Amino acid sequence: MSTVGKQGTPSRRARTHRISEWLDRQSSTLFITPAVVLILVFSLFPLVASLIIAFSRFRLRAGSYQVRWVGFKNFEKQFFGSEQFHFLGTFKGMSVLGWVVATVAGVLILYWLYRYCRQKFWWLGFIGRIISALMAFGLVLLFSATLLSGHQFGTLGVTLFYVFVGCSLQFAIGLGLALLCAQPIRGRTFFRVVFFLPLMITPIGIGYAFRMLADTTKGPFSPAWQWVGLGDFAWSTDPWAARLFIVIGDSWQWIPFVFIILLAALENIPKDHREAAEVDGASGWQIFREITWPQLLPVAATVMLIRLIEAFKLVDLPNIMTAGGPGIATESMSLHSYFAWRSLDLGQSAAIAYLLLITTVVICVSFFNYVVLGRLRQGNA
Amino acid sequence: MTAVRKKISRRRTPLQWLFEAPSIGKMAPGTAVFVYGLLLFWTLVVLFPLYWVLITSFKTALDVNNGPVFLPWVDFTPSLHAWRELLVIDYEDTLRSYINSIVIATLSTALCVAVGSMAAYALARITYKPKFGNILLFVLAMLGGCYVVWKAGVDWKIAMTAAFAIWFFLLKSVGRFFKKSVGNGDILFWMISQRILPPIVTVVPIYMMFQNLKMLDTHLALILTYTVVNLPIVVWLLYDFISGIPIELEESAQLDGASRFRTFWEIVLPLAKPGLAATTLLVLILAWNEYILAVFLSTSNAQTIPILVAAMNAGERGILWWSMCVVIIIMIIPVVFMAILLQRFISKGVLLGAVKG
Amino acid sequence: MQNPTSEQSAQRLTLHALNKSFGLVHVVKDLSLDIHPGEFLVLLGPSGCGKTTALRMIAGLETVDSGTITLGDEDITHSLPKYRDIAMVFQSYALYPHKTVFENMGFPLKVSGYSPDEVKEAVHETAAQVHMTDYLERYPRELSGGQRQRVALGRAMIRRPSAFLMDEPLSNLDAKLRGHMRAELKRMQHDLGTTTVYVTHDQIEAMTLAHRVAIMNHGVLQQLGTPAEVYDEPANLFVAGFMGSPPMNFVKGAVDNNRFTATGLALPVTQYTGGSEAILGFRPEDAEVVAADAGLFNAHVFTSEQTGEYTLVTLELNDDTVTIKMPREFNATIRDTVGVRFPVNKGFLFDATTGDRNTGQLS
Ligand SMILES: Nc1ncnc2c1ncn2[C@@H]1O[C@H](COP(=O)(O)OP(=O)(O)OP(=O)(O)O)[C@@H](O)[C@H]1O
Ligand SMILES: [Mg+2]
Repeated sequence: MSTVGKQGTPSRRARTHRISEWLDRQSSTLFITPAVVLILVFSLFPLVASLIIAFSRFRLRAGSYQVRWVGFKNFEKQFFGSEQFHFLGTFKGMSVLGWVVATVAGVLILYWLYRYCRQKFWWLGFIGRIISALMAFGLVLLFSATLLSGHQFGTLGVTLFYVFVGCSLQFAIGLGLALLCAQPIRGRTFFRVVFFLPLMITPIGIGYAFRMLADTTKGPFSPAWQWVGLGDFAWSTDPWAARLFIVIGDSWQWIPFVFIILLAALENIPKDHREAAEVDGASGWQIFREITWPQLLPVAATVMLIRLIEAFKLVDLPNIMTAGGPGIATESMSLHSYFAWRSLDLGQSAAIAYLLLITTVVICVSFFNYVVLGRLRQGNA
Repeated sequence: MTAVRKKISRRRTPLQWLFEAPSIGKMAPGTAVFVYGLLLFWTLVVLFPLYWVLITSFKTALDVNNGPVFLPWVDFTPSLHAWRELLVIDYEDTLRSYINSIVIATLSTALCVAVGSMAAYALARITYKPKFGNILLFVLAMLGGCYVVWKAGVDWKIAMTAAFAIWFFLLKSVGRFFKKSVGNGDILFWMISQRILPPIVTVVPIYMMFQNLKMLDTHLALILTYTVVNLPIVVWLLYDFISGIPIELEESAQLDGASRFRTFWEIVLPLAKPGLAATTLLVLILAWNEYILAVFLSTSNAQTIPILVAAMNAGERGILWWSMCVVIIIMIIPVVFMAILLQRFISKGVLLGAVKG
Repeated sequence: MQNPTSEQSAQRLTLHALNKSFGLVHVVKDLSLDIHPGEFLVLLGPSGCGKTTALRMIAGLETVDSGTITLGDEDITHSLPKYRDIAMVFQSYALYPHKTVFENMGFPLKVSGYSPDEVKEAVHETAAQVHMTDYLERYPRELSGGQRQRVALGRAMIRRPSAFLMDEPLSNLDAKLRGHMRAELKRMQHDLGTTTVYVTHDQIEAMTLAHRVAIMNHGVLQQLGTPAEVYDEPANLFVAGFMGSPPMNFVKGAVDNNRFTATGLALPVTQYTGGSEAILGFRPEDAEVVAADAGLFNAHVFTSEQTGEYTLVTLELNDDTVTIKMPREFNATIRDTVGVRFPVNKGFLFDATTGDRNTGQLS
């Protein structure tokens, strides 16, 4: 381009030519380097540093800090030591129901592995499935030993509760709203904009707003509470009510995200597929099940993957709405780690953060491999 | 096979009349009641909390503490005291946080979208084949650097420079003997997977890093951090979008003599506009509302507005609900404005081409 | 037309005074058609004339502003598509991308509650008819254009509907395949004996497939008749110009005193009743180039083209150009003056102001 320019002496033109040519030759590097460097510095370095901290005892000294290698102590504490009740939950023997569920789950998981081995064996796939299976079995065991045996569960269980219950709720309602908005309705733009609103509000604001709403004595619904005789019931004192309350707040914020993407996906399905089915005599429900839903699935799986990833990070809402209370009933792992940091126990904080990371990675990668990839393949079909 | 003809009954049963569309593109009365009922219900679910926040901002402490009042001028007399306190009396603090938030959110979004769209374009169109061995060497060199800093107490700048130099030397000498290389897909997966990192994992080292650089509580620290945190989203969404642009357009531009930068700037970016708009909006919202990183990395100078919200809970007077609501409202306004501005693009751009995989 | 193999008596499809507007655009105007049981009716017209819209109204995919549609003895104007018992082949085929050929073809039966065994049997039977038996497990994207088209056809056939609607089903195929599929379609419709409305803008398709052709322009029905009728007896200038390739030649002139006159020619006319401004039309294949002064009128040779099959001679006559089809060995020298001759009963007279065909004849 610069060579075509009429202005400039020949030598200068040649020079700019050389520079621009050099730049062009390097463009493949220049395009990607900023992103790579930023991620390396801000993600990879902290990841490594955090790993080191997780294996150390970390003390802040005036103006400086001191790090001492303690091996797996920090992790040990979470699984077997003094923090076990906090991270995993309270174990006091397993109930019959717990044993039954754990055994059934174990058998199912083994069968799943066995089936994989029968089909097509690929060692990397096998290792991946072993890891997923171990994680799944561990979680089932945890679930049976705490919740099913009538004991409290710890931050791991709470996090999973937020993730799975929250994501399911968001998906169900988001999909429902998208389907409603895809009907031949008036004022579609209005509903679309209104339904999008909660996504734009800071989680902090949502936390406090929901605290106001949920107040049974001064909140807007207090007359109703009084009327059904729950006037002195407080959401934040009952573990399950408090957890539910946080899930509702989180869902209120994130349903718009699921909604807007699913609506776009719905509108993107070619109109003539619907019409062909219509002419072929399919009923509304049949059209949904046979035409719309299969074509929606790839997008739905991707959206849920994004939501899954974000849901594991939930920290603002429990912090504000209940401060983790009552007791530790609503503490997510992120919040657990945050509290540990606030009490300057950086080693613990990093260890918990790492455990969260491992859980997230295994579950998200499993979801991606077994669900999203499958759906994408089907969608391409 | 025998054909069975569905009988068309001109008389529809009451149930059909209620729930079956009279003709295509119309809704039966029952369905309409159901659909609009649910839509209105959800509108209420969305708007009521916002309404409550809005009226609370006009309430006095007395109105809030003496049980619920719902309608201004009917139940209670709206008062501007909270607004006055935040916007007139204490305006400096509010204004500073507000400007901080605007600066940090917009700059980090701009940076993020710029860097992210370049990376997304590069991954979609240029083939990369970094050698696996070189990457391994790099990680080892960096780990070595960290170890030296930690054990021997060497200044980290020297150690990192040295580690980088050693890696560079190795790259040029033994680098070409490596055979196995990773592809674009792997790089993309690596970048996107960064989003899985919970901020809580990385924030402590980042905190220490900025402390070391004397950059704690500066705008730049937050801008950079937000940029990186949101980068995977931008790459993810735009990669799919850019892959969907017909490559012939770029090829013809290159035949016409345009450089890669020019192709990117004049062909790709304009075509990716819907995707860019949707991504920008999403990233902007995330940066604007972010709280936990801001808590770690800023105290007063770079304090953003979500922190101001939380600050309304810090005094000895308990939670100042009315002031908090004022802050929440002034926080929502610009984003809503942006959303309405960009709303045309959202439904087109939001689909992330996820179908293609 | 009526054939013994069909198990079900074919249905009559009647459109009466159909109207449709999109906003201010009046797309279909007072369209009335009476389609006989088992008839293959082709709806022909230029792009954008409202053919697809008419077809979609019959299918129930578009609401009707006014008018009625009856199928058999039932008024289906306002019933839902699924109750109409009509099958449609879409221009884009609209095959479900996530379903195999088998599932695509079986879909209409599956949704009307047939058992899997029945569906399987019917799909195999239909697949054999459309020669797709070997591809049942494939997905649509793994098929060629012609195969997709056959799947779409099979999906429409499998239900043995009361009527078929087809929207330019052959337009995505290459010329050779199109010819082949045309023949197959005709045979299939003959065997099934199902009332069919077929939309196209390709007049060859129309001529070869149709029992009757309905020609539309700007949403208005221009003429309805057998292919021979619309070709030999065009109702107006539009139909005359639309049918035939190359199209009919037109010479502008005037009629008075029982003579058609234009610069350089004057021909006797009988029974002409229209306005004085008139247009003379004749088909390229009906005329021949002869020596100067030996024909009805003289003209200059503009160019002559060899097509392999025949020679196309273009002549200049005042402002008009006239094309004539001659045998392939014919040779014309550019700028020569030649004569043009055609049988007087093959000349058509049109009223230039209304565009309608006039009963007038050359004599
Ligand atoms: N949904 C719609 N909204 C507005 N205008 C429409 C719509 N559908 C069709 N039209 C207009 O109606 C006219 C007729 O369209 P139609 O699709 O029936 O044409 P067609 O005869 O099938 O043309 P083609 O041969 O190109 O398929 C066109 O001018 C078109 O622009
Ligand atoms: Mg059409």
